[in-house]
Amino acid sequence: MIRYIFIALLLLSGAIPVLGQELYVNTEPASNMATRSLGIRLENQGFDKNDFKNRTSLELMYGASKNLMVHTTFYASNYYQPGQRFEGISAYAKYRFLAIDSVQRHFRGAIFAKVASISNPLNNQEITLEGDNSGIQGGVVFTQLLHKVALSASGGYLRAFDNRGAYSLPVNNSRDEVFYTLSAGYLLFPEIYRDYTQVNVNLYAELLGKTNPGYGQSYLDAAPAVQFIFNSVFRVDVSYRAPLYNHMRRNSQNTYLLRLEYNFFNVF
Amino acid sequence: MKSFKIFILSLILGAGSAHAQFTKAELQVSGLTCSMCSKATEKALRTLDFVGDIKTDLNRNVFVITFKSTSPVNLGQISKKVQNAGFSVNNLKATFNFNSVKLNSNSFSYHGDTYMVVNGANKPLTGPVAVTVVDKGFAPSSVYKKYAGQTPDGFKAGKLYRIVI
Repeated sequence: MIRYIFIALLLLSGAIPVLGQELYVNTEPASNMATRSLGIRLENQGFDKNDFKNRTSLELMYGASKNLMVHTTFYASNYYQPGQRFEGISAYAKYRFLAIDSVQRHFRGAIFAKVASISNPLNNQEITLEGDNSGIQGGVVFTQLLHKVALSASGGYLRAFDNRGAYSLPVNNSRDEVFYTLSAGYLLFPEIYRDYTQVNVNLYAELLGKTNPGYGQSYLDAAPAVQFIFNSVFRVDVSYRAPLYNHMRRNSQNTYLLRLEYNFFNVF
Repeated sequence: MKSFKIFILSLILGAGSAHAQFTKAELQVSGLTCSMCSKATEKALRTLDFVGDIKTDLNRNVFVITFKSTSPVNLGQISKKVQNAGFSVNNLKATFNFNSVKLNSNSFSYHGDTYMVVNGANKPLTGPVAVTVVDKGFAPSSVYKKYAGQTPDGFKAGKLYRIVI
């Protein structure tokens, strides 16, 4: 396991000449959206294990102040039954408590919290607030941007509730989970910015891990991603996550992600 | 009636020329690297009523702002908009026309705000001169801390901008 982490870290840092961005695909950076801007995300994730299963989510993001941003997400999937069905909602808030800026570099720190209310059967060991579990989550994230290099690390704690619809968490399941992520971004194009209409192409490598303390259940996924930004407002993300090691029953193993995001500035 | 029109016109022109002392500014923003972030910042700056046009150098993170001659310029609002977009002002160099401005030793007044020349006041101040604001919110801490203790003689209340010529 240590060996895998070491290899992954090497891939993230040294081996490639890292030029980066912090608009991570599988995690959130410590930076926030601009105040009074609204982002709308339409996302589809899925996997093919015997059957093709997929989940669609609609996420609204709003910059409430320079330090606070909030998200609300609606989920629908066929993960737990043959047809697509609305599963529930989640709410997320992130507060930036640290910002040290200089030209083309910054270091930021933020705390975040999430709450989800979901109606789904509970037959997995992983706790996720992205459509599978009702629960709460809290964490901290730090992001360092050095010109085109962006590194981000986050960690935190998840607590599962029983799901809505009288779906109780099985007695043998962990209610508590620890999560940790490490992300790196690389700005591929443009090499030189000229105007807002240039297409940006960003590459990301992210490590996503979770552990259920005391249950011997854990995993670490590698999640490469590619991102296109059009006209400086419209973002397209494509990612695939695969386990470096896996000792946890879950839906998120070997899943693809496709996301469209549009940003409106100076609304409300 | 004609004289009334001339009177109104002269009022407007008079007001216009009074505001026109700040003509443009070169704003460098720190913490920026993505064009999406620059766009958010520029859009926020454009909501200010005294901002006419903005030309952006995305590589240097510099916004060249042309001010309208019809509205008083509020430099504090520029810093606020940049911070609300999630970033900081690294440098704000504004062009100020010193013709028809009366300097009270090393300070002058513009629309109720006091501007104190903390460095370079020995140069003759006539015509358009580039002034750099060296207060918190406009410069890195290493810079604004150097000048933070300076206050003009007889300064009582209101907004104070410390500037370097």
